[in-house]
Order: sequence, then C-alpha cells, then structure tokens
Amino acid sequence: MNPLILTIILMTVFLGTMIVMASSHWLMIWIGFEMNLLAIIPILMKKYNPRAMEASTKYFLTQATASMLLMMAIIINLMHSGQWTITKVFNPTASIIMTLALAMKLGLTPFHFWVPEVTQGISLTSGLILLTWQKLAPMSILYQISPSINLNILLTMAVLSILVGGWGGLNQTQLRKIMAYSSIAHMGWMTAILVYNPTLTMLNMLIYIMMTLTMFMLFIHSSSTTTLSLSHTWNKAPLITTLILITLLSMGGLPPLSGFMPKWMIIQELTKNSSIILPTLMAIMALLNLYFYTRLTYSTSLTMFPSTNNMKMKWQFETKQITLLPPLIIASSLLLPLTPMLSILD
Amino acid sequence: MLKIIIPTIMLMPLTWLSKKNMIWINTTTYSLLISLISLSLLNQPNNNSLNFSLMFFSDPLSAPLLVLTTWLLPLMLMASQHHLSKEPLIRKKLYITMLAMLQTFLIMTFTATELISFFFLFEATLVPTLIIITRWGNQTERLNAGLYFLFYTLVGSLPLLVALISIQNLTGSLNFLLIQYWNQALPDSWSNIFLWLACMMAFMVKMPMYGLHLWLPKAHVEAPIAGSMVLAAILLKLGGYGMLRITMMLNPQTNFMAYPFLMLSLWGMIMTSSICLRQTDLKSLIAYSSVSHMALVIVAVLIQTPWSYMGATALMIAHGLTSSMLFCLANSNYERTHSRTMILARGLQTLLPLMAAWWLLASLTNLALPPSINLIGELFVVMSSFSWSNITIILMGANITITALYSLYMLITTQRGKYTHHINSIKPSFTRENALMALHMTPLLLLSLNPKIILGFTY
Repeated sequence: MNPLILTIILMTVFLGTMIVMASSHWLMIWIGFEMNLLAIIPILMKKYNPRAMEASTKYFLTQATASMLLMMAIIINLMHSGQWTITKVFNPTASIIMTLALAMKLGLTPFHFWVPEVTQGISLTSGLILLTWQKLAPMSILYQISPSINLNILLTMAVLSILVGGWGGLNQTQLRKIMAYSSIAHMGWMTAILVYNPTLTMLNMLIYIMMTLTMFMLFIHSSSTTTLSLSHTWNKAPLITTLILITLLSMGGLPPLSGFMPKWMIIQELTKNSSIILPTLMAIMALLNLYFYTRLTYSTSLTMFPSTNNMKMKWQFETKQITLLPPLIIASSLLLPLTPMLSILD
Repeated sequence: MLKIIIPTIMLMPLTWLSKKNMIWINTTTYSLLISLISLSLLNQPNNNSLNFSLMFFSDPLSAPLLVLTTWLLPLMLMASQHHLSKEPLIRKKLYITMLAMLQTFLIMTFTATELISFFFLFEATLVPTLIIITRWGNQTERLNAGLYFLFYTLVGSLPLLVALISIQNLTGSLNFLLIQYWNQALPDSWSNIFLWLACMMAFMVKMPMYGLHLWLPKAHVEAPIAGSMVLAAILLKLGGYGMLRITMMLNPQTNFMAYPFLMLSLWGMIMTSSICLRQTDLKSLIAYSSVSHMALVIVAVLIQTPWSYMGATALMIAHGLTSSMLFCLANSNYERTHSRTMILARGLQTLLPLMAAWWLLASLTNLALPPSINLIGELFVVMSSFSWSNITIILMGANITITALYSLYMLITTQRGKYTHHINSIKPSFTRENALMALHMTPLLLLSLNPKIILGFTY
C-alpha cells in the first residue's frame, strides 16, 4: 500500500480508539467505534484475495451490528437519564444491551464465532492489530461502565469464553486460529474480574497485549502461519525457538513467568470476594489452553521436528530484523517479581 | 539464606561465560561449595526454627531436605557428563542452566515462609523439569511423559492456590512462622472438607499417591539421568514437605478425611511393590519402587503422630539418596548397552566388580537393611501405623517382604549369574561413575551414625 495512505489509515484507527477512550459523550464514543471500524477494513484487506474479503466482510458485519446495539443502548440510556455523559448506565435493559454489544466487539462467547475466521483470513500483521489494538476500545468502555454491569450475564459470558477458548483451540494447527482462541479465553479472564476489580482487567489486558504482540512478532519473524512451518524455525534461527517456548509457557500462565501474574491476581480477587468454585473452574479450564500451547512448543522448540532436507537450508536466506522484540520478550516473561507495582494502575 | 541462593543463581552466568573445557569443572566445583555452605544449616540449636528473614527460614524439617537438594546438584552434573558429551556447547550450557534454575527454585521452595511463595515456586519447578524431560530425553514417549507430568501436577495444584488464598482471607497471613502460633481447629462444614481436599490433592499428586501416580513411571523413565535424579530425590519430597507443613492447619478434619487416602496408600504400596516384580525395564522398576516408598510417607504424614513425622522425614532423605543412586546405576548400564531392559545386561559382577559393590549397597539400602537410615524411616512408620491400627502391620510386613524381593531380584538379575556374551566389550567403569556412587553412599552410611539430624522437628 502507498505509505502515505497507510499512514492516514493507521492514524484513523489510532484516532478512533483514542476518541473512544477519551470521550465523555456517548455519541462521540459511538463515532470513535465507527471510525475505527471503517479505517481498519483496508488494513484487514492488505492482501487482496477472496479469503481476506470474506474475513473483512464478516468483521464489518459483526462490528456494525455491535455498534448498532450500542447505539440502541445509548438511546435507551438517554431516554431514562436525559443526558449523554458516560457515567454509569441508568437502566438495566440498557446495561444488558450495552454489555452484549461490547461482548460482540470483543469476541466473547456466545459472540465469538467471528474471531477465528476473521483472524485466519488476514495477514499476520493485520491479525496482530486486530487481536491487540482493537480490544482496547471496547474494554475501556466496559471499564467505565463496570459498576452498572449485570454480574450474571458477564460472568456467564466470561466462563463460557474460557471454556470455548480452551476447547476450540485444541483441534487447531493454524497459528492464527490458535491465537484467536487464545484471545477469546483471555478476554474471558479479563471480563470475569471486571465487576470486582477493574484495575486487574487493565493489568490482564496489558500483559495479554504484550504476550500476544511478542507471539505475533515471533511468527512474523519466521513467516510461519501453520504449526508445520513454525517447526522449521530450529533450522533458521534456533534462538527464536527458545523465545517461542518462553512466551507460549507465559501465555499458558505458568509461574514464574509473567503470564501467571494476571491469573493469580484474578483468582485472588475472586476468592476474596467469596466465590470459590468460579476461580477453581476458570483455573482448571485455563489448562486446556496450556495444553495446545505445550503442543506447539513440542513441535517447535522441544524437539527437532523432522523436516525435508531443503527446509534445513532456510538459514541461507536473510532474516528480518524485528524492532522492539527484546524488551517485549523481557516484559512477557520476567515481570512477575514486579507484581507489587500494579498499584500504579489505579 | 541469600548466601546459598545468590551463588546458585550465579551458576547460570558461570556456565555461559566458562570456556569449553571448563564448564563441567566450574559448575561441579561451585555447586559442591554451595552444598558445603548449606551444611551449616543442619546445626539447629533450639527447639524452634532458624529465621533468616521475613521470607526465608529453615527448621529441622527443611534443613536436611535443603542439604539434600544442594548435595544433589554436583552429583547431577557429574552424572550428565557422558550423555551430553556429543552435544554442541550451547546445548550443554542450556542443560546446565536448566539444572541451576531448577536448583534455585527448589532451594527457595524449601526455605519459603509464605505459603503462597511456596506454592509459586512449587509450580515454578515444573517448567525447567518439563524442558529437561522433553528436550533431552531419549525416546519419543518423552513428549507424552512431559504432558502427563505437567498436567497431573497442575490440575492438582490449582485448587491449592484457591485454598491458600481463602485461608489467607480467613487468617490474615500465610506466613508460616505466624500460623503455627495462631493454629486453631477448623470448624466442621462442607466447604472446609473441600478446603482440606484442595490443600492435600496437590501434594498427593506430587508424592505420588497410588491412584494418581501414572505420571511418575512415564516421567522417570523418559527423563535423562539428571532429570530422573532430581525427580526421584527432590521433587517427590516437595510433596511430602508440603503435606507436612499444611497438615498443621487442617485439623480436625484430618481425623476422618484421611481415611480414603490412607487406604489408597496402604493398598497402593503393596500394588506398586508387586508390579516391580514384573518389570522388565530397569528404570521403571526403580520408579515404581519410588511410588511404594512414598506411599509409606503418605501414611506417616496422615497419621500425624510425632514418631510418624520422624519416620516420614528420615524416609524422605534416605529414599532420596537411595533412589538417586539406583538411577545413576541404571544409567551406567544404559550408557553402555543403550537399553533399559534388565535381562539384556546380566552378570555384570564378573565384568565390573566395583560397580557390583555399589549395586549391592544400593539394593541393600533400598530394602531397608539395618542400620541404614532407610530402616529407621520405615521402622518408625511401621511402628506408628501399628499403634494407629493393629491390622496395618500385615500390609506393612507384606510390603517390606515384597520390597526385599524386588530389590534382590533387581540385584541378582543385573549382577549375578553368567554374563551375556554380547556385553563383554563394554567400557570399564569410569572414575567419575565410581565417585558418583561413593558420593551418594557416603552420606547415607554416615547418617546412620547420627540420624538425629534427619529426624525432623518432632525429635
């Protein structure tokens, strides 16, 4: 794409999310979502093939529906409260509709069906933006209306998302679909704690974005979109295999890596609020996620996966240089001792 | 405690910066020095624990386990030299780094005061062990073994996290030094029953208890020698140590909640000992023997009498040294014949008589011959379980007999009789291997002179 056009479109995406996060008027928030949606369609369509067209169409339709639901909730809120300021939502119906709309935007169950298909149809870089940046705007709205969200709906969606994210990823070999199901499960964790302690939602979002960013950058570095092609990295760049191992285990939530921190904090908050079965169930379900991450590490770093002889010569081609990767790796694996610092998120 | 932890962490830069011909020398020497430092912890002056800081402490239970952990690292490094000799330098350094990382986590686990910190490091030991088993094991089954190991332990221990947080909610602190003074009876309710279960299951899986032991034969057999050694000697004892610490808080539910687990362990020790008699794979035999010995420890911990705690602690230390030594002996066989089948390399006494002496000593301590500390452990457990219920003497006696049977079976099959003709060209024993066996056996024999230090905090 022409660099100038790309810059303008990326700035629009950025601006859309910023408008959503910074506004206090409900209409501006809706406008921000629409700007974001319209500007990201060309990014999803970077590779002009029918698969990407289908993915973009699906994304547009689901997000537009969600925006319309959001508009309806805003209008009902306006009707019952008479003002457009985003504080709490004044009507339970509006609150429920708004929660459902934002869940549709995030990809929570039962509105998760678009996430794997859209992520699979687009290129790795677009998938990166889709799974990290696009989650910021809906999550910030959920954070702001968190006092008035119906707990039952949100917790049901959260637990179902963790289940679906775990079970859905089990049969996948395509890396983008694996990351999509991982995103569904992590969104579930984030929304589970939203009503009790929204700061932890933000912490989880931060750690999740760092880990997903790292994973995608490692995938982009080795230009691999399937498990099979990822298993050739030991030929090209053996160090990448170690980094993939560390990041995947961190995503699975294994101590002492930093992916354990959000899970631990969330379990702690839920238990302190006297719900014991829920965090136990969530923690056990997160093990499903760990299973397919471990399977991925088995084919990538912990074995020298069998490959044909011409694959072994891949190191002869020049490798890409990825900026920002070392700090991201550190952030996604070694942040656990800094847990007491999460008081700065308040 | 930092005087032990920081040098262990610094073992990692030491390996990466050492020259090619110095990595083994450097790491083995420095880890031996660290174990010498840890020996000073065995001097527990009074009836209480030695508190080093708010975060680390050592008491008569954790000190011998700590010394065992630090003693085992140089032994693991010595044992791994042969099978890593053909690997590229970076992979050797990675292996040693994994071992050093595991060692750091283990030391911190045994000396942690906060129970959440203990849990955290308990889980953290899984990652280096998983990497050692799946990356450096030898057969394809190692992948499955790693999965079983990881998931069995995690499913058991995640409820423990929830239980620990809810206990912290109730009592205000999980600092172990405080809890032993606060201690009060848990009220009787369904949720406290689940709390008991949640706390204990993690350690039951780790020990392992008979019904949940499926990960152990897989993991022990598929792991490389250092992995097997650390698994058998230390990681199983993590479960025992955790159980000993946490049962303090779980009274009086233990009185009735312990019955199913006691039954499973009593039955399980007979079953796993009997399976040992039918094993063809040498490492698998030693793995099942570990399950059987640990079942004794579970019985001892659940009975909760002073003698049984003494027996449990002594048995843990003794079994750690014995089991690790048996794995080293099995590995010396494996490195020569590249097969774990027992009958493939028979009659080794004719060819390697000094190694046969080590085999004899290891088998004798495995079957708990007096006056070794294995006997002290088993005897205390048998006596305390007899006082708990007279009928258990039948099962315990049967277990001791079957243990003697399979230990001697293993000894006679590998050492005695006519040697198989295809092994008459094996390499003679290396000095390194003899040193390894001697370093295992010497503490074991010396401790029988002064078993007081390994008898734990109820002495």
